[in-house]
Amino acid sequence: MEVTIFNIFILLAFVIFIVPKKSQYYFSAFIHLGLIGISGFWAINCFYNYSEVSSLPFITFFSNPLNLTIDVLSAFFILVINCTVLTGFIYAKGYLKSYSTNKSKTEFAFHHFNFIWLHISMLLVVMIRDGLAFLFVWELMSLSSFFLVIFENEKQEVIKIGLKYLMQMHIGLVFIIVAFICVYIQTNGDIGFDGLSLYFATNKPFLVFILFFIGFGIKAGFIPLHTWLPHAHPAAPSHVSGVMSGVMIKIGLYGILRVLTYIHQDLFSIGMFILVISLISGILGVTFAIVQHDVKKLLAYHSIENIGIIGIGIGLGVIGIAANIPVLAVLGFAGGILHILNHSLFKSLLFYTSGSIYLQLHTRNIEQMGGMIKKMPKTAIFFLIGSLAICGLPLFNGFISEFLIYSGIFKSLLPGNLFIDITLLFSLSGLAIIGGLAIFCFTKVFSIIFLGTPRSDSATKSTEVKGSMLISFFMIGIIIIFIGILPAFIIYPLSSVVGIFTKDSSILYQSAYNLNNISLVSGIFIGLICTLGLLRNRQQKGKIIKQGPIWGCGYTGINPAKSQYTATSYADNFLLLVDRLVNVKKRFIVFKSEEIFPRKRTFHTDSSDIFEDYLVSLPSKKILYWMEKAAVFQTGQIQHYLLYALVFLIVIFFLSILNWI
Amino acid sequence: MEVLSIFLILLTALLIPGITGMTKAKIAGRKMPSVFQPIKDIIRLFKKGAIYSTSTSFIYKVAPLVYLSSVSVSILFLSVGSKISLISFHGDFLLFAYLLAIGKFFMIISAMDTGSSFEGMGANREALYSMLVEPAFFIIIASLALFTDYTSLNELFSNMHISSNFSYVIGIAASYVLLNTAMTENSRMPVDDPKTHLELTMIHEVMILDNSGFDLAIIHISSWLKFSIYGTLISKFIIVTTLPFYIQAVYFIIIQMILAIVIGFLESFRARNKMEKNPQWIIMLSAIAIVAFLSTLIISQKIILN
Amino acid sequence: MIDIFIILYSMTLIYFALAERVSKYVILLFIQGVLLFCVLFFSLYKIEIFDFIFILLETILVKAIILPWFMNKVRRQNQLKRENDTYIPVFYSIIIVVICLLVSFFLSSKLQDTQIHSKYFTVAFASVIFGIYFIIIHRNIFSHVVGYLIIENGIFLISLALGSKMPMMVNLAVLLDVLMGVLVLGIFVNRIGNTFESVEIGHLTQLKD
Repeated sequence: MEVTIFNIFILLAFVIFIVPKKSQYYFSAFIHLGLIGISGFWAINCFYNYSEVSSLPFITFFSNPLNLTIDVLSAFFILVINCTVLTGFIYAKGYLKSYSTNKSKTEFAFHHFNFIWLHISMLLVVMIRDGLAFLFVWELMSLSSFFLVIFENEKQEVIKIGLKYLMQMHIGLVFIIVAFICVYIQTNGDIGFDGLSLYFATNKPFLVFILFFIGFGIKAGFIPLHTWLPHAHPAAPSHVSGVMSGVMIKIGLYGILRVLTYIHQDLFSIGMFILVISLISGILGVTFAIVQHDVKKLLAYHSIENIGIIGIGIGLGVIGIAANIPVLAVLGFAGGILHILNHSLFKSLLFYTSGSIYLQLHTRNIEQMGGMIKKMPKTAIFFLIGSLAICGLPLFNGFISEFLIYSGIFKSLLPGNLFIDITLLFSLSGLAIIGGLAIFCFTKVFSIIFLGTPRSDSATKSTEVKGSMLISFFMIGIIIIFIGILPAFIIYPLSSVVGIFTKDSSILYQSAYNLNNISLVSGIFIGLICTLGLLRNRQQKGKIIKQGPIWGCGYTGINPAKSQYTATSYADNFLLLVDRLVNVKKRFIVFKSEEIFPRKRTFHTDSSDIFEDYLVSLPSKKILYWMEKAAVFQTGQIQHYLLYALVFLIVIFFLSILNWI
Repeated sequence: MEVLSIFLILLTALLIPGITGMTKAKIAGRKMPSVFQPIKDIIRLFKKGAIYSTSTSFIYKVAPLVYLSSVSVSILFLSVGSKISLISFHGDFLLFAYLLAIGKFFMIISAMDTGSSFEGMGANREALYSMLVEPAFFIIIASLALFTDYTSLNELFSNMHISSNFSYVIGIAASYVLLNTAMTENSRMPVDDPKTHLELTMIHEVMILDNSGFDLAIIHISSWLKFSIYGTLISKFIIVTTLPFYIQAVYFIIIQMILAIVIGFLESFRARNKMEKNPQWIIMLSAIAIVAFLSTLIISQKIILN
Repeated sequence: MIDIFIILYSMTLIYFALAERVSKYVILLFIQGVLLFCVLFFSLYKIEIFDFIFILLETILVKAIILPWFMNKVRRQNQLKRENDTYIPVFYSIIIVVICLLVSFFLSSKLQDTQIHSKYFTVAFASVIFGIYFIIIHRNIFSHVVGYLIIENGIFLISLALGSKMPMMVNLAVLLDVLMGVLVLGIFVNRIGNTFESVEIGHLTQLKD
């Protein structure tokens, strides 16, 4: 019965084209809420009956019934999707208001339509097991997100970026199709995930897993498959970036996890593979993030880093299963899967807050911002909460997932053999370095955007955002702080998801004791801050508190905005360490020695992604070069084309005479 | 009785800066200040008002409170000798390390909050060096966890039997790494020179250039507490746990005094690294920690040698 | 007991990667010589007393005293102060030396041959690899000689690892080789320094026709 309601909501999406402009938003909100309600009901139902997999008949397509199968993994992803899309469309109300003047009614309707279809297709992807339907819904997801990305299509680069995004998504699709077909040929079963269990029982899973990993990894954003991410996320409007970065790349991870549930042999090499790629993604992702000026590009690179952290958790979990160390398996998977939820929360919060800033300043370049905390204090607080969460600092949810992964590593040092110990050493140092670099990057971003004095005129004239956007910030903030301070509540749902991969996840209950202690310490911490604040107020009651300008080394003629630290200068000493990788070019003209009164100079830095240069730009340039050479044949005259046809006929004639074909 | 160890840690925290100052003055041939001089400075600061810059926001006021709270809460994880600390659970050293990190985060953004180029300089150097020194602490704890198969700070140290000659090497390497980590995190030699008066060469001193009154007092207290924390960690490697507690307490105080004198020596006789050479010096600490981890692997027979 | 000295030896390898002053290289070579002497002292107690004392003396004299003294003399005569840019920054060299050590320890744990004393093999292999790496990244002939000596220390340890039946012969041969090599190179460095006023490889390759 719920399925019919679900189908009704899907069909209602088409009606949005005839709804008038003012009520388009409320109509789409209604559809979103309906979808969230039904799928949420299925998901919570599945969590209560732990191991029951419910199979619902969805539609019948040419007398082939298509079922929706929901197990605990799908239920978890449904909850993650719903949470982010909910906050996404609440945020979109205020965000789209600024576009209402220069976009027509159909453009808005099309945008809402694609947003609804993105939601629907993401929900269907995690619920469908049949191969062809899965590929169809995957394609729908790519298409609807493509149309969402090119919302600001009056700018030429946006369309180019959108097309690049679509092409890369299709390359990923090709890999998935090839993997499914490999399985189908060997087993002669159905094309679908169920055929995988038969295949992996008999053949070596490593190669097919690599094919699946590349296909899903392009969507997830592992390095070196990540080159679409840093372009697509800045080009899209902020609510779309938040949803894409928060959930859509996790769907790639869902695919990898789903394939992993069927693999039971050759796990050690698969685990090492995932771990190595994730460590590289994590460290390189945050390295690239540090040198960016565009705030959304920076957040996109941080998504790559966090996908790396999730991959480290999953890789360690798989290695734990392979080497028979239950602690590592359970805690690794738990940390990785919890980080999926955590990342969707704080990354969407960061994208939404940066979207509010973009609305005020109309630029994403952080070198033009500064001092926004005085104009937009509430946005600043939520950005600060997001930054603290993404660095994995205590009181917030990022710490909990990193705590679980670290606990897994430390507890399994003694049981493991030498190779595993060295691997754990590397993953430990890798995680520590990623955390430290994230702190470096986010102190930079938060300080340059919000603190100090404004660096440009538009920064001095901005105002705080209005109501509905603050509601979405608030909702995400509450969940972040809740998971951070009271983490024991998510252990029970988490253990059932982890139980899909490892048979026995009771170790997770033992860590509930540790997590309660974390709550206790967080409480003491906050209490101590408040106490100190009260003490300070008492101490400062009778004293003189003045305001004055900052110490400028006795030089009073400076413009405070110009003498501040800029983002490039903040990142500079780290840049000296990673020079070759990030390829920062500094363009400036040197002062000549005979120039006594120097004229105005400009200094420009930009960076490029080394993977994009060598994996995408270089091959496409070479291919274009040879294509242009081959274009000689395309003369445009019919006589030449008839000549080609005649030559072809003669060649075929001779080849068939000589019995070669 | 556990509160006694907290009391000892706080007591030594108040005495370490005084002793360091006395050592440095004696070596430099100056007249020694009194041991209580830093405490008198703090009391003087507590009697003062404050000046806040016009370019700062509420972050500037909140940050020193967060810094002191984070360092104080970290003390609850430690204990002297064989006593159990007030808070102990599996993986508590992670919370310990990350609490210190959140304190640093807030100090860095409060420095950038002033919008002054000096403080920005100090902030980004502090961020880079604390980022590079993080793995060293974790790898040392990893070697201990490999050695004893426990994962909470109490159990790690109490089960670390100094049995073979090898453990001395691990103890010495770990003390060396922890000592230098303490010097790096508190911005002492060879990473930073606390007595330089050139803002361009400062790291920590320049970040607190504009703080005054109550805020400056609690920032000073936090940095003393941090020295005491690292001293406590080093002392846990040295104190043998079978002695009665009052002898352990005396040992503890003596070790902290020696630590303060050693810091004074190191500060007087070392020159500061060039700024660009700092990252490689700091990553050397992680390398030494990895060598200690390797020796633990040898002891626990993971690496089979004949 | 030997393990402690092996660990200290690996720490000197790390310091080799970190150091940039030429005088530090000389000091580190001296420390390595002393450590090798201690390793030898605690391990070769099975052979005849005469050979034992001979090998000990030769090790301490040549490795710890004569070679560092000679290198010091060359350094002072050419007034070498600092090693300028290496081809790979020092930061990454430290990471590479740690990876070398880890790989070397891992490999020696996998060697389950009863004829090989894998205790020495651990840091010997790392020493040889690191010595070759050291020569590759530095531009100065003096540093090349230092790298050559690191390789020689590693080979000494390998000869210890591969059985202690006839260490004297092997050691004498290798030591003579090295002594000649270093003496010749040292003399050449002096001459080159006097004639051309530079000992950088980049400048010296211009001498080729």
